[in-house]
Amino acid sequence: MGCGYSLPDRDSRQLGRPNSENGGGQDAKNLRVKLVLLGDSGVGKSCIVLRFVRGQFDPTSKVTVGASFLSQTIALQDSTTVKFEIWDTAGQERYAALAPLYYRGAAVAVIVYDITSPESFSKAQYWVKELQKHGSPDIVMALVGNKADLHEKREVAVQDGMDYAEKNGMFFIETSAKTADNINELFEEIAKRLPRPVIT
Amino acid sequence: MSSSQFDESVVRETDVEVEAPVESGSDVAWERTGSEHEIDQPSSPSSSGYAGEGGSTSATSASSLIEIQRDEIEEQMRIHIDEISISDSNASWIPGKRHQDEDDASISWRKRKKHFFILSNSGKPIYSRYGDEHKLAGFSATLQAIISFVENGGDSVKLVRAGKHQVVFLVKGPIYLVCISSTEEPYESLKGQLELIYGQMLVILTRSVNKCFEKNPKFDMTPLLGGTDTIFSSLIHSFSWNPATFLHAYTCLPLSYATRQAAGAVLQDIADSGVLFATLMCRHKVISLVGAQKASLHPDDMLLLANFVMSSESFRTSESFSPVCLPRYNPSAFLYAYIHYFDADTYLMLLTTNSDAFYHLKDCRIRIEMVLLKSNVLSEVQRSLLDGGMHVEDLPPIPHSGPSHLGQHIPPSDSPERFKEANHDTGGPAGLWHFIYRSIYLDQYVSSEFSSSISTRQQQKRLYRAYQKLFASMHDKGIGPHKTQFRRDENYVLLCWVTQDFELYAAFDPLADKALAIKTCNRVCQWIKDVENEIFLLGASPFSW
Repeated sequence: MGCGYSLPDRDSRQLGRPNSENGGGQDAKNLRVKLVLLGDSGVGKSCIVLRFVRGQFDPTSKVTVGASFLSQTIALQDSTTVKFEIWDTAGQERYAALAPLYYRGAAVAVIVYDITSPESFSKAQYWVKELQKHGSPDIVMALVGNKADLHEKREVAVQDGMDYAEKNGMFFIETSAKTADNINELFEEIAKRLPRPVIT
Repeated sequence: MSSSQFDESVVRETDVEVEAPVESGSDVAWERTGSEHEIDQPSSPSSSGYAGEGGSTSATSASSLIEIQRDEIEEQMRIHIDEISISDSNASWIPGKRHQDEDDASISWRKRKKHFFILSNSGKPIYSRYGDEHKLAGFSATLQAIISFVENGGDSVKLVRAGKHQVVFLVKGPIYLVCISSTEEPYESLKGQLELIYGQMLVILTRSVNKCFEKNPKFDMTPLLGGTDTIFSSLIHSFSWNPATFLHAYTCLPLSYATRQAAGAVLQDIADSGVLFATLMCRHKVISLVGAQKASLHPDDMLLLANFVMSSESFRTSESFSPVCLPRYNPSAFLYAYIHYFDADTYLMLLTTNSDAFYHLKDCRIRIEMVLLKSNVLSEVQRSLLDGGMHVEDLPPIPHSGPSHLGQHIPPSDSPERFKEANHDTGGPAGLWHFIYRSIYLDQYVSSEFSSSISTRQQQKRLYRAYQKLFASMHDKGIGPHKTQFRRDENYVLLCWVTQDFELYAAFDPLADKALAIKTCNRVCQWIKDVENEIFLLGASPFSW
């Protein structure tokens, strides 16, 4: 798996992309990872990203158009750093056909649903299937139940999320972008699960 | 610029002069809004619209349907009109859908002055300016019935007049657009607004949405437009403040020639590396823009694109990459837009046909940003925003010596021409309140700042509506084209002058002297020629001719 690491493939395709942005490049200690967020509109994808990247939460809903690009670097305990290049995609139906534009070449897919909305949970399952068919074969997938702070309105049981994730070899976590619960944990856990390039 | 001088004798021979009597003691503010009404001429563009082009039988039956509706609306309008005027004049406007809870049974919904609807040819609602589309299914079906009734007779319905209301129809394949308005705007203006709404829909979806209707005539399009209410409401709002919506021209942020050149040079640089259009904008004004060879950007596409970007809050949060369609460039295909805000007002749009180009465009942006910072373009932009554009008070006298620059605030002179009137101590010479100058071959216009006599949003909106009417009548194929027009009513003196090279629209105090007003228009033209380097984007790029 190590050499089949899906990232460099994107880099080779992009014209004129300096490989050394932020002094990065690919080595065993400093990973750069393309991550895509998918899920129904209004489940809180942008809120998760903004909480993770900027530590902010804006309760007024701002509809994402196309996709937003943000990046954030985290340091792991084994002194490696992971720079996440995050594609926060729009959840609207009209963008579904364009999603490959954003998930192509992604090493990580975070599929988000809203624990108060069973429809968004079905939508999440749609995205899982789509990625299993068309995503990179070694993509790391995480299933995220967001809005965990709204437990009194919960309509998707924790167990349902867990079961579905387990069946599909995904990592599962419930988060709240509002309270910041489990947001950093989500990304740290993803970082730990990333395949490491083999040093020769 | 034309060598012709605008003089009074010319005006006398060719103009349409309409001097409406000043209503003595017109009582309330609402009355004044109402006084915009058309001077009833048999050849007025709006009254000719339907009767001339539609069949008479269908006209009768169609309008009688509307007639019933109208009586109810009018009755309720009389009662509630004051309320509306007040709520409409809110100074700060927030985008987004209003009155979501209303439907066609609500009194408040019926008394709205201007409705816009998009529906499918099977009568399914797609968009409504006010109220919940889903609750308006019955109303949409009625509109569809009117359209198809006339179509079945081998004709098409364009306009139905019902008392104060005009119902304007626009058919675009399987998509129907309808405006119901009591604002007394000309038919041509309302139709142009429907065209823009349709264009905005194409920006979001392209014309390939038609295929959905070919497959399934009962296709429900509303989910495809999910989350786009603010884009449409902001466009509709711009019909009352952005002259680009009826002039079909764009406007530039005033900047020194060197500053604009610096921005243009770096955009040109990256346009040579596979970018189709590169535009640097400040709000709805252009700082600079460059197109790849042979690619030209239509002013309407720019308007719709800028509206799309500015009304979508998410672009302000971080850099974005979004599919977008430019209807005048190619209505069937998406381009890909890289969008980045440098500050709260200034943003960059890089358009490409290559869906993989994000990282390349991101690199381009970094290069552009470095140049803009190094040459102080961004701080100059902020300064220009603070200074504003052309102030009528600064209009230089003729003759004047030396090159003039914007932003040299000339103290009010005591020249004999200066308009003096105790109640009207503001504005430019001869009671000049405002002007718009549109350069025909540049596809650009410049609009002066409003003088303090036109300071409220309501007054500004009314003036734009008056210009709009003037524009429509100047371009009316039936009675035009006109070269000059002088109109006086209780609100203003309006002067319009159209040549091969430019169009000038000017508003004066209602008591302004005609000869002086004409002289002043000549001075405005001279002034624009003197500062054209700063207010227009000139030459340089193979753009929009």
